[in-house]
Amino acid sequence: MIYLDNAATTPMDPQVIEVVKESMERDFANSGAVYKIGLDAKRRVEKASDEIAEALRLPSYYRIIFTSGGSESNNLFIKGTCFPDKKTACLGLEHPSVTSTLDYFKEFGNPPLILRNFQEAGRLNPTAVPALQENRIRLLCLSHVNNELGSVNGSQQFQAILKEGSSQTRLFLDGVQAVGKLKLDRSFWETVSGYSISGHKINGPKGIGLLAYDSRLPLAPQIHGGKQQFGVRSGTLPVPLILGLAESVKRAAINTEETQAHLKKLFRHLITGLHDLSDRVPHLQVRINSSSSQDINLQSPAIVNFSFPPVEGEVLLHHLEEKEIYVGLGSACSSHSKESSKILTGIGLTEEEARCSLRISFSRQNSLKEIDTFLEEFARAYQSLYPTFSKQTEIK
Amino acid sequence: MTEPRIILVRYDEIGLKGKNRRYFENCLRDNIRKKLSGVKIDGLRMPRGRIMIETDQSVVGECVERLRLVPGIASLSVGVFVSHDFDAIAEVGIGWIVPRLRDAGTLKFCVRTHRAFKLFPQTSPEINFEVGSRIMRRLSTEGLVVNIKKAEFVLEVEVRQEGAVVFNNRIPGLRGLPVGSSGEVLTLLSGGIDSPAAAHRLICRGCRSHFIFFDNRPFLGRGGFDKVLRIAKVLNKLQTMGRLYVVPFSDMQVAIRDRCRASHRIVLYRRMMYRIAHVVARKNNYLGLVTGESLGQVASQTLENLAAVSCVVSISVFRPLIGTDKLEIINQAKKIGTYEISIEPQPDCCSVFMPPNPVTRGKIPELEFDEEKFPWQTLMEDALQKMEVIKLDVQEA
Repeated sequence: MIYLDNAATTPMDPQVIEVVKESMERDFANSGAVYKIGLDAKRRVEKASDEIAEALRLPSYYRIIFTSGGSESNNLFIKGTCFPDKKTACLGLEHPSVTSTLDYFKEFGNPPLILRNFQEAGRLNPTAVPALQENRIRLLCLSHVNNELGSVNGSQQFQAILKEGSSQTRLFLDGVQAVGKLKLDRSFWETVSGYSISGHKINGPKGIGLLAYDSRLPLAPQIHGGKQQFGVRSGTLPVPLILGLAESVKRAAINTEETQAHLKKLFRHLITGLHDLSDRVPHLQVRINSSSSQDINLQSPAIVNFSFPPVEGEVLLHHLEEKEIYVGLGSACSSHSKESSKILTGIGLTEEEARCSLRISFSRQNSLKEIDTFLEEFARAYQSLYPTFSKQTEIK
Repeated sequence: MTEPRIILVRYDEIGLKGKNRRYFENCLRDNIRKKLSGVKIDGLRMPRGRIMIETDQSVVGECVERLRLVPGIASLSVGVFVSHDFDAIAEVGIGWIVPRLRDAGTLKFCVRTHRAFKLFPQTSPEINFEVGSRIMRRLSTEGLVVNIKKAEFVLEVEVRQEGAVVFNNRIPGLRGLPVGSSGEVLTLLSGGIDSPAAAHRLICRGCRSHFIFFDNRPFLGRGGFDKVLRIAKVLNKLQTMGRLYVVPFSDMQVAIRDRCRASHRIVLYRRMMYRIAHVVARKNNYLGLVTGESLGQVASQTLENLAAVSCVVSISVFRPLIGTDKLEIINQAKKIGTYEISIEPQPDCCSVFMPPNPVTRGKIPELEFDEEKFPWQTLMEDALQKMEVIKLDVQEA
């Protein structure tokens, strides 16, 4: 099996499984209980939290709230800081857990400002900053790494421009695709107010994630109850999952440079390979939708999105599935509708180009040899499907 | 402690049959036996017009749940068996009424008797009176009143030669005829809303339905197949012993897509589906094909196009939904529990195979002309060779 859909989810690291398993057997006590075994569980959660803060180089005024994952973290921060009447903005190319949350504000007469006109290959252009100032935007929500394209937003240069041009605007980044791929250092956090992370995107367990945020900001709870986690997110803490998350964050953070170097190699190899195929395979015209840039401030090397009209991405995906090669759709249909997402058309692709696309997303477990196998099978499937898709003109 | 119970099974339609009645009754009895296998039953008798199952309170709920899914059963009642003694009958009624009376404070009730044993000395109204007055004597001071028209609690007594069955419930069954009494058919199942509803109608008319699914993997994923398998299993619960035939169809679709007029595609696909289903049906002695077509619902379901597909097979094609509208079909699918599965988003037909303007009045000579452009016989043999057969009763590991 060749798994190239790591932006969707990742296999769990065996060592993380070990940590979770051990904790499941040992830490059954409620971490809110006042007896010894409860206090032990609590201490382990605190240690995990400290380790995560250290691995991410979070400043001391940052607080970590454990959640069920990226979607909950995004909902918690956006609603918790801005609901119902504070002005928000986004690029319109974010994950639905950001865009749908912002859309929900519409029902309360507070629609978000969509900055689609200021996008450039999936990135927000700093020329948008005056518009943020004019519209008195309090929170700008962006994907740190776009989940379909891999484009990077919220770089330190951008943060500086934002701070200068619209000082009342805070920046929230959805970081689920970024951790372990982009280096986060102390200075990165200076103008960021909130950041989401999901366990299962970094070889950790599903059902656990976190929100890291500037604790000087008031954050209204979205789940009320026993007042766990500073009263911001009630609910008994899933100790084993938290320890698993901490282990995966640590591993991702420690190995970031090494991972980056490896991913860059895979990234270059795939892009070169796709260009070669375009030269070699009759009719095949690959268009790389992600940026080919090697600059980590512009493009994550973990994601390559490309189009190859007229063959449909979904059909190609299933042909690759027959060979046990698993890839993502370039323009993901959500599990609840057939309609494809708006990210690719949002950066200017035609409907056909969006439909005829795939997303390859790597992890550090992938090898160059796997990319070669993928390229070979992709070319084979394309050639066998091309005649069927090329006859779009009717046979009368 | 054992608490014996009697389940009274009624089957009004079979009861109307003439000389063949015994055949249908035996069929129903066998289906009930099969359905209840694994549940402890103390006896099963067939007095005229009824099937009576003797069992115990501890398993009676399980029995009822299973019997509700047996076509041919009009209704069921769970009761207890007592002697012809009015005191004993009244005692059972009192036992059931007291707790309700305690909760509600007051209760309107009546007794209804069905006198199957015609030689019983008292008439039905007399029995009603005898039993009712005994109960009233005991409970009238506690709020029990007789009200025949607006009774909240109906105590029913069925007097039989060997004793009386007392009960207070009637659980509706699926009605229709027992499965197997009419023979076997093959339903073309797509994963949509209509075809399961069509199969259900035939099953309730005594057919055992098998299913055939045309799979266009690898153009689409396994999702369509998974959906059809789940739907087939839901339907098979009504009948048992059904099969699902899975026919790989993408090569055929590609050939039609690549070589024939786009507007003819859908009708040509359907002609091939009918042909393949026909071969499967003939080989297995199935007596008809069943489809979920409803007149005029989509382009392929006009009178002309229905004729253009039916004419390729020499077997009965049943379209039980032909005169129904979508809303009726949806309601039926909801009732049988396939609707929720059918509406799960799963592309059931790849857009690459769909023409922009499908023909609404296909002309048979033109379709035949198109069919000369691809080797359909070879492709059909190939598809039948690669066909997979799934026995729906077998539980997956």
